[in-house]
Parts: sequence; C-alpha cells; structure tokens
Amino acid sequence: MRKKIFKNMCLLAVVTIFLSSLLVTFAYYGTANSRMKAEVREEARFIQGAVELSGQEYLDTVKGTPNRITLIDTDGSVLFDNQADPAAMENHAGRQEVQRASTTGAGESTRMSDTLAQQIFYYAVKLDNGQILRVACDTDSVFAAVLAVLPWIVSAALVVTLFTVLFSNFLTKKIVAPINQLDLNAPADDKVYDELAPLLTKINRQNEVIAQQMKSLREKQEEFTSITENMSEGFLVLDRNTDILSYNSSALRLLGADAAPAESHGSALALNRSAGFRSAVDAALSGNRSEQLVRQGGRCCQVMANPVLRDGQVEGAVVVILDITEREERENLRREFTANVSHELKTPLTSISGFAEIIQNGIVKPQDIPRFAGNIYVESQRLISLVDDILNLSRLDEEDVQLERETFDLAALARDVADRLKDSAKKNGVVISVLGNKTPANGVKSIVDEMVYNLVDNSVKYNKKNGRVTVTAELLPEGPTLTVTDTGIGIPQGDVDRVFERFYRVDKSHSKEIGGTGLGLSIVKHGAAFHNAKVSLESVEGQGTTVRLTFPH
Amino acid sequence: MRTKFDEQLEKLNVALITTGALCEDAISTAAKALLENDMDLAAQVKPIELEIDQKEREIETLCMRLLLQQQPVAGDLRQISSALKMITDLERIGDQTSDIAELVPYLQKGDLSFSKVHIKEMAEATIKMVTDSIDSFVRQDLALARGVMEYDKVVDGLFNKVKAELIQLIGENRESGEFCIDLLMVAKYFERIGDHAVNVAEWVQYSLTGVKVNA
Repeated sequence: MRKKIFKNMCLLAVVTIFLSSLLVTFAYYGTANSRMKAEVREEARFIQGAVELSGQEYLDTVKGTPNRITLIDTDGSVLFDNQADPAAMENHAGRQEVQRASTTGAGESTRMSDTLAQQIFYYAVKLDNGQILRVACDTDSVFAAVLAVLPWIVSAALVVTLFTVLFSNFLTKKIVAPINQLDLNAPADDKVYDELAPLLTKINRQNEVIAQQMKSLREKQEEFTSITENMSEGFLVLDRNTDILSYNSSALRLLGADAAPAESHGSALALNRSAGFRSAVDAALSGNRSEQLVRQGGRCCQVMANPVLRDGQVEGAVVVILDITEREERENLRREFTANVSHELKTPLTSISGFAEIIQNGIVKPQDIPRFAGNIYVESQRLISLVDDILNLSRLDEEDVQLERETFDLAALARDVADRLKDSAKKNGVVISVLGNKTPANGVKSIVDEMVYNLVDNSVKYNKKNGRVTVTAELLPEGPTLTVTDTGIGIPQGDVDRVFERFYRVDKSHSKEIGGTGLGLSIVKHGAAFHNAKVSLESVEGQGTTVRLTFPH
Repeated sequence: MRTKFDEQLEKLNVALITTGALCEDAISTAAKALLENDMDLAAQVKPIELEIDQKEREIETLCMRLLLQQQPVAGDLRQISSALKMITDLERIGDQTSDIAELVPYLQKGDLSFSKVHIKEMAEATIKMVTDSIDSFVRQDLALARGVMEYDKVVDGLFNKVKAELIQLIGENRESGEFCIDLLMVAKYFERIGDHAVNVAEWVQYSLTGVKVNA
C-alpha cells in the first residue's frame, strides 16, 4: 500500500511537470510567433513605403538585412532578392501569399522549410505599380521550440521528482501510519479513516464470532479431556502412521509409559511395543477390529483397537485399554474355588461309595460291618459339616441377610465356645484359657459364635502337644476386641495372605488327620466383613499365631 | 516437501521400534525356551527372526530412499545413517537369538541345574541390555544408552563365570562334554547379543550427540 501510494504520487508529479512545461512552451511560442509576424508586416509596409517613394533602387540598401526580401513582378517573375540570384529563381506567381496579395493587396502564409525544424513566414504586399513585395522570416517551428525547452523540462522534472520522492515518502508514511497502528483486537475503537469503518466493523464482528467459537471449542475440548482423563480405561487416538493424536493419562499408566513421551505426539509404539499391542494396532490400521491381551509388570490389560474409517479408507485407530488384572484374579479364584469344592465334596463321597460297595458285594465279614458303617458315618459327618460351612459362607455372601442384631458379652461367648471345644482340646493335649471381663459387642450372635468357634478350633487343631490357647476379650479404644493366641505350628510367611481364601490350606495334602474343611478362616473373614469388624493375623512359623477381631463400637 | 520428509522419518522411526520390539520378543522367547526346555517355544523364534530380516531390508530401502531423495543434512543425516547401522546390529541380534533357539534341542538331555543359575542370569542381563538399548532409542535417552554400554561389563563377567563353571563341570564329568560345549556356545551368543546391544546404544548416542565412541 505504501509503495503504491508512493509510486502514484511520484507519477502524478512527473506527469504534472511534463504537461505544464509543454503548455508553457506552447503559450510562449504563440506570443513569440505573433510578435515575429507583426514585425515582419511592419517591415514589409516600411519597405513598401520606401520602394513606392524612391523606386526599386531602395532595395539595394537592404541587401544585408536578416529577413529575406523579394520583389516579384506582376507576371510572377522575380525582380529582386536580397539573398539569392533572382535570375535563377522560378516563377513566384503560384505562391499562396503572392496570389492573395495580388487580389486583396496583402497576403501571408507559413510553410515548412526542407527541414522540419524550420518554418518560413511569408508576408506579401501589393505595390502601387502592381508588383508584389514579399518579406520572409525564418523561425523555429513549435517542434523545435519544444525540443529547445526539453532539457529545461527534464531537469525541472528531475528536481521536482527528487523533491516529490522525499515528500511523498514522508506523506505516505503519514497516511499509512494510522492504518499500521490499528488495534485489530479492538478495531471498532479506531476512528482515523471513515473509509475503513465498514471494514473495521466487519473485522470486529468476525473477531467476536471467532472468540465465541474458540470458547465453545475450548469448552468441548475441556469436556472431552475431563471425560477421558477421569476414565480408568486407557484411551488413544492414532493416525495412519501410529502417531498419537489424543491420549489420556490412564493410557500412559496402563501401557507402562512412566513419563509422557506422547507430548511430542510421536508414535504409539514408543509407549509400548509389546507383541500384543503391536498386533492390535496393526490389525486396526489394516481395517479390522482387534482385541489383545497385554501382560506387563504384573498387570494384565485388554487392548481393544478399532479402525477409524472415512469413505471406506482407514484414517486411524481408536484404542481402548482396560485393566483386567483384578478380573483375571477373580476369575482364577472362582475357578480354583469350583475345583476345590468339587474336590472336597468328592473325597468323602468316594469313601462312602467305596465302603458301601464292598458291603453290598458281601465281602465284609458281618462283625466288621459296624466299623465300616462307622467310617461311612464319619465321612458323611464330614460331608455335612462341609456343606454347612459352604451354606454359612454363601449366607454371608448374600448381602441382604436380615438377621437380628443384639448386644452380647464377648467374654461369655468365648467361654461358651471354649467349653464346647474342651473335649477336642483334651484329645490334642491343649489347654484353653479365657481371659477378660464383660465386653459388650453388637452383632449377630450366631455368626460371631461361628467365627470364634472357628478361630479357637483352628488354634486347638493346629497346635503342638501341651500347647496353650489363650482367648482374651477386652474393650480397647478401637472397639470391643477378641484376641486368640496359640502356641501352635504357625503359618509360613508366604501363606499368611492366602489363609483367608476358601479351601486354602497350608498343608496341601488335604490330610484327614486334622480334619477341617479349609473354610474356617474364610467364614471368619466374611463374618467380620458382615459386622464391619477388622481381622488381623500375625504368625511366626513354629511359634504360634495371633488372630485379633476388632468390632466397631 | 518437508512434511513428506518428516512423514518418512517417522515411518523409519516406527519401523525401527517395531524391529527392536521383535528382537525383544525373539530373545525373551529363546531364553524362556532354553530355561524351560520348551521345544515349541524354541520353534517360534525362527519366524520372528525371518520377520526381523524382512524389516531390515525394508528399513534399508527406506533409508536409501531418504538419503537419495531428500539429501538430509546434520541431525537428520545422523539419524538416518545411525538407523542404517543400528538395523544391522538388530538383525545380528535376531540371528544369534535364532542360533540359541536352534541349540535348545541339544540341551534337552543335559542337566542344566548346575550352570543353569548363571545362564539364567546371563539371559536376564542380556534381555535387559537389549530392552534398555531399544528404550534408549525410543525415548532418545542418552543416559540410558550410556547405562547399556556400562552394563556390558556385567554380561562379560557372567560369561567368564559360566565358562569357569563349565570347565569345572567337564573336569568332574567327562560325559557331559558335548552338553557343556553347547551351553558355552549359548553363553557366547548371549555375550555377542550384549555387544550388539552396546552397538545400538552407541548409535543412539551418535545420532543424539554426533560423537561416535569406539568401544
């Protein structure tokens, strides 16, 4: 814009100078020409007077004058010429000025000479004797006059142009400066040029629209980000070259990328390059939905990759990553439980069926039948207690159990349990002692009874000869607490976490020597969960175990 | 033009990561096959190695095309030339892993229990080196690359240990000679894989700093 303004101003100046110079030249030429003509006429009349008075001889006196003086006879032949030989000159009767002079008494004409640069003005007058006197004057033509002035025009134009360049430079800057200083963020405030007002208003309106759209875009983006960021599932959007377009922090966490190398939006394979992830992404980018498991650092993730199609072309992929570690663990536990239940139920049934079979076949002597029947009885008792335990457990699993809660004395309950287990303890050579005063606790008495029974029973069963079991009931600041301590065989450190699992036994042989179903501590755990009570277990292998139940107030 | 170049460079990067990942898969599969005497696992190594070879050719072509068509300079040139060198080392890792897998059947009848401890440690150390060298490339992590170069000493030390154990084993029991020689070769392959991992790390360092150290 500055350049254009500057250029136009310069052009205007130059054209102006050129045109005005031309006009001045023409005007000057016009006046000079008419003065010259007047002088020639004057001279012609003067000579006419002189010739009429003193005859042709006068003409000899004007031989040296700059103007050409010619005397032409009535028939057109030249009588005298002060610059050429009259004899060599042709007949002048046909000349325009001569003809006019012979008819009207005076005539003039202007003719170009041989060169364009000169023109000749002729003035002719008729003498009394009919002869024609002609005076001619050479003058520069207009063209030559202009040509003569041209150096002046050019030099003036140069000077003016120089001046114009400087001035228009300054002027242009001045014109453009307010436009350069326009605040495009608030264009409506500017009032420098009225011509710009519609444009500025439009910009202003568009600014508002853009700001509005940006705001809504940002809000949408934030909404999207807050959704994806709060998802525990990993989320990735990839383009055709596996470059990350969008991701959430869960994805980084689940893929095991500690830092966020996705900042530079590199390839997703930089986050995780395990075979599962690779094949899922590859499959999605070739247009197929794919699900893969990725195991990494003790975690199991399900990677689901879907192709993003546009006009039937794969544009990228959306990858969702689920952490299924827990689900996998639960699945394993459930499978184990089912296998355990089947095994535990099958063992006594196989024995019963075996005993019954040999009795049926009559192989057993009649006197042995009571012993076999006894065996069948023991096995079926075991089966019954097993089914009882499973029923108890599933009853506790049902969350909406409606059982009567009451306040009871933990110490009394413990004494009652100890009393019931007295025979079993005597058989194992273990002494049970119950300590503590009245400790009121709130809960379902039958369930708590079951829990305490299982704990004390375990302590008796997994004890050594001449061992001791101490049950303490007390009211601690945390709540009513029951502690069962024994001097038994203890639990190996590696198994402490697992003893609360159903059917889990430290002794894998499921030996019948000790009996038990492997469900005791599981019942304790579920019962405690039912009462919102806390269970803690400490054990030193070979020295004994302490289990503490803390009930809420 | 520039966008096209960047796109091709990114493609090269992805191809290298993939090849690195394939190498990791191959070596962990081979090591598992070796330690668990699993013939089926050992058989899975060969296809991975073939895939690595194919990737090598693919990357070579890509590098050549980039060099000829784009005529890169400075950092870009270093990146491409180091990729060209790196892929050779990765391919060698693939080959040697495949060699280990081929030896697995001959180690079936032997008793790995004596030397197994250190072969296992050696396998783990080598896998760590390969993983770290590829990680250093993926994350452009100079410190990690230098860590790999340092860690080579551990693998070299383990190799000497395994060698000493095998010499002792042959001395005690002449019958086990063949088994011990095979196991020594496995150990040597692991040691070589470690060296290649160091090479990869050196090329990572070169592409990042422009300085090539001669180990």
